[in-house]
Amino acid sequence: MPAILRKELTLSASILAYLFILFALMFFIPGYPILCGAFFVTLGIFQSFQAAREANDLVFSVLLPIAKRDVVRGRYLFVCLIEGAAGVLMALIVLLRMTLLSQSPVYRSNALMNANLFALGAAFVIFALFNLIFVGGFFRTGHQLGRPFVIYVIVVFPVILAAESLHHIPGWEMLNAFGTDALALQLGLFVLGLAVYLSVSILACRKACRRFEKMDL
Amino acid sequence: MIVQVQGLWKRYPAFALADVSFCLQPGRITGFIGRNGAGKTTTIKSMLNLVHPDSGEIRFFGLSMPEHETEIKKRIGYSTGTVSWYPRKKLRDIAAVVKRFYEDWDEDAYRRYLALFGLDEEKTPLALSEGMKVKFNLLLALSHRAEVLILDEPTSGLDPFSRKELLTLFTRLKEDGVAVFFSTHVISDLEKCADDIVYISGGRIVAAMPKADFVRQHCLSGESLEDAMLRMEGGGV
Repeated sequence: MPAILRKELTLSASILAYLFILFALMFFIPGYPILCGAFFVTLGIFQSFQAAREANDLVFSVLLPIAKRDVVRGRYLFVCLIEGAAGVLMALIVLLRMTLLSQSPVYRSNALMNANLFALGAAFVIFALFNLIFVGGFFRTGHQLGRPFVIYVIVVFPVILAAESLHHIPGWEMLNAFGTDALALQLGLFVLGLAVYLSVSILACRKACRRFEKMDL
Repeated sequence: MIVQVQGLWKRYPAFALADVSFCLQPGRITGFIGRNGAGKTTTIKSMLNLVHPDSGEIRFFGLSMPEHETEIKKRIGYSTGTVSWYPRKKLRDIAAVVKRFYEDWDEDAYRRYLALFGLDEEKTPLALSEGMKVKFNLLLALSHRAEVLILDEPTSGLDPFSRKELLTLFTRLKEDGVAVFFSTHVISDLEKCADDIVYISGGRIVAAMPKADFVRQHCLSGESLEDAMLRMEGGGV
């Protein structure tokens, strides 16, 4: 494990970042906007940023014998690790709901989004928005947390609302597929969500590295 | 010379570092003196690549800082008396993370200085006095065999006993060949241990020379270093 990631995990991270991974379990809750679970995972990471800022983490990290861009990479690596852990937990729940629980009446009568592969892809899009807007926004200044988080919230909730309700549009019902129905479409949407996550996160990290390199601390 | 700062300029709306130049030699203690807001911290931050100067050059061990940042940082140590890192983490945990960044981390030296400084690894920085915080930073720096110590107001907020203890430690480190560069606005610190003086006022270097030369050139007959600097800072002759 790179030393900078170990530093992120043991010194910079707030315990809430780890605990809030459990919000992925919201994928089990029927009649609830399950994508809020993805938002709460990012809220835990936000707490970590706050704790790290109060601990003078950025200056401490920059003084370590690494390039400044590695400080940014380490932080993105940490964020992606938390999001990845939540993603794995969500994927396991999706698998359960697609198989053993696919006929459960409590899920079948759900007016909101079903926890399927499309939902999993949408969760990764939410993580991508967090990495782009909040994490990228933080590395504009190295200290400002409130503004990028508010912008992220303003963007992410309409996205959650849209994803949760799209299947009510005539012809788009398959977004809410149960079990292995419309599997090709569902898989395609999941892969698309994952691709958006990876590409946006990599681009956001590169941009943050360039900004951070020029920043005075 | 071990460190060379040459023609450093950094302009802010209300302040500017102007053509700051000086050198540090191995095995010597250099006091960096100036009143609050004179530019000491900006200079130190520029030396550490935390602040990007508009122009000028900073070289450690003959290597340019921006191009050899990682290599240089492995050979230098930094401490401040005013900031504490990870106030709620145990010293043991902080040290365990830091040591992984240095291939030549000296665990024996770490244990030796830990005992010498009377630091308890189970404590958190929050539970340390200001002097002990500085000592913890020094412990980390000395455990990776830093050849240059850059210390931003390390004696700030220390009681006279802790200050004396720290200045004695600087002298011991100097004897081991370490270059100690410390900023202060307490002139008596310089009188006690500095070999060289870099005096900054209003963002400009007023003097950068051995202390004996400074006394010869700037102190009037019977005048102490403190009196001379107060006179110079006040615009007197």
